[in-house]
Amino acid sequence: MALKLLRDIFAVAGNESRQFWRNRTAILISLVILPLFFTVSLGAAGGGATTRFSPTANIPIAFIDNDLSTDSSRLLQTLRSSGDFNNLLLGYREDSALAVLGTGKIYAAIVVPEGFHNHLANNQTSKIILYADDGEPGVGDQISATLRTVVQDFNPRVEVQPERRGLSQIEIVQKGALFSSFNIGLVVVLGVVQIFATFYEIAGGMSREREDGTLARLLVSPTGLVPIMLGKTLFDSVLATIRTFIVLGLSVYMFGARPSTDLATLVIVSLIVALLTMGFGFVVSALRVGARAVVIVEFFLVLFLFAFSGLVIDKELLRGLSKAISNILPWAYGFEILRRTVLIGRPLLTLASDLQIILAATVIFYVVSYAIFALSRERLAF
Amino acid sequence: MAENTITTNGLTKVFGHFTAVDTLNLDVKGGELFGLLGPNGAGKTTTVRMLCTLIDPTRGTANVAGYDIREQAAEVRRNIGVVSEGVSLYKDLTIEENLRLFSTLYDLPRTKAEARIRELMEMFGFREKSKRLVSALSSGWQKKAMICAALLHEPKVLFLDEVTSGLDPQSAIALQDFTRKLCDEGETVIWTTHYMGEPEKICDRVGVVFAGRLVKVGSPNELKHSVSELSTVEVETPGLSATQVEKIRKLGKVCKISYNDPLLRVTCEHHEDLAEEVTKALMGAGARIRAVNTKEPTLEEAFISLTGGEEEIDRFLESSARRK
Repeated sequence: MALKLLRDIFAVAGNESRQFWRNRTAILISLVILPLFFTVSLGAAGGGATTRFSPTANIPIAFIDNDLSTDSSRLLQTLRSSGDFNNLLLGYREDSALAVLGTGKIYAAIVVPEGFHNHLANNQTSKIILYADDGEPGVGDQISATLRTVVQDFNPRVEVQPERRGLSQIEIVQKGALFSSFNIGLVVVLGVVQIFATFYEIAGGMSREREDGTLARLLVSPTGLVPIMLGKTLFDSVLATIRTFIVLGLSVYMFGARPSTDLATLVIVSLIVALLTMGFGFVVSALRVGARAVVIVEFFLVLFLFAFSGLVIDKELLRGLSKAISNILPWAYGFEILRRTVLIGRPLLTLASDLQIILAATVIFYVVSYAIFALSRERLAF
Repeated sequence: MAENTITTNGLTKVFGHFTAVDTLNLDVKGGELFGLLGPNGAGKTTTVRMLCTLIDPTRGTANVAGYDIREQAAEVRRNIGVVSEGVSLYKDLTIEENLRLFSTLYDLPRTKAEARIRELMEMFGFREKSKRLVSALSSGWQKKAMICAALLHEPKVLFLDEVTSGLDPQSAIALQDFTRKLCDEGETVIWTTHYMGEPEKICDRVGVVFAGRLVKVGSPNELKHSVSELSTVEVETPGLSATQVEKIRKLGKVCKISYNDPLLRVTCEHHEDLAEEVTKALMGAGARIRAVNTKEPTLEEAFISLTGGEEEIDRFLESSARRK
């Protein structure tokens, strides 16, 4: 029984593979255009292949030196040469900087207080103060995190002190400390590419098979629903892994990404996101969505994920309804795992709660689609 | 007496408010070529899909090859072959690759599968085309490929649903002959069609299906004569006298006779030797005979009569088209 199941799974997967490698358009879209387009476009947006990607590099930030010492000048030089603060504006006073903060002229103000040099000279911890724009919480976080990293390089005894201004509260988010490379790009590209490709491969593939009559042909043979679903999953997992290597290769060799995790973890996490999307693809196909309609569903899925899954705006920064939606979107947990492993190298097993949620969601998707199909075979066949 | 290979008992399929198949009671014997005849939308394909376990019946039971279609669906599938609208092969694979895939799913041992594939390729003349993608084959060859796949595991029952539609006449005739041969070798075949001429030529028995109901079952001859017991002979015989006509009228069982020079039309109760008897009588009366034609009721006439006449069929076809 188990042997028959395995044989059928491999037969279905082998069949998927033969068809895929014979279809030049599918190869081109799945393994060339999607990974290349997203990696290169994001890489280019971050400054091209030769420049280190830093999301804070071009943000206008006021630099106010109230200490006017050799150390404060050296700090300014360090910030400028870091590549993370290429648009530091001098000439502001603390009060004038705070007056324009929030207007879009500057997004943050870095203040070196009086006594900065003396504290350092006396081997004491010195502070710099960061004001950030209340209207751009994501930007504030990134500036704060990047500043902390650069300042630690300058002198470990300098402390960045986030300041409250109005309702704003800058939280130093540990994961932000590694934003200053293409690693964040790698997270986004891996997530988007896997979702785009696997959803279409499963939901579109099932719809096409239903419309072509090949699914009905499988269903009048003694094979069951489980081998069909698992066979397709197996082959798509192989494709997802190949895509991970392609995206990783491009990100590392073209855009200098340095993921903080090992290759195996990266492949596993990427596969987890792909499996979740495959499960969702089966659910959509169980609802008898046609091959053309799958493209529309995919468009809305990606839009939805961009808005609420933390892919673009950090999940922690969302509020109200957006936060509630984000909490029930399993992909949000997938991206969280991707970020924490790729950006700060957290071991996969330390993210157990996120892993449990995403794995539970994947199982639910598979069970729900199986149940719908099993309840009505005609839904699957025609 | 062969045992029933297919038995249905009150088999019914309802889609929403529309009853596609209504209380179907049917027995098909082993080795029989059974035709399901009816217009599009009559419920033939739905019946086949239920018997193939592709869709669940709303009510009723059915046994195919000795297995219940609900309780033993996997066993049913192991024992049937299907060629039907909406059941297709992978077009991006060659016929050989398709057959290999299905041989695995049917659990055929590799050596046996390879031998069977070679046998089928040979039987259907696929030798040069075996490496071609299914999408590159003509519709006739694609149908043949589908039949190959359906026969791969040597099923007990073969469902051929509208299998000749879209085929050129030669291919259709070849397929009919092939199917007849299969049945003569013991295969049970369900042949569904809306072409009236097909079942008459090849089927042992025919079930007339209309608006989801099985209206009548019988051999093509039984069906034809169930609606009309009359046979007609037309003789082209110029210059017949009234006496000569009267002599023919006196032949037994003649119901109606008319003469419109040169055509003599004689109608009587179904009588196989009628043409011979009329010809003999005319020659005995010294008449000159140019041609003799026998007119039997056709299956088409039987179908129209059984389903309530042409108007009823038109109404059904219109409502069927509206549903689509």
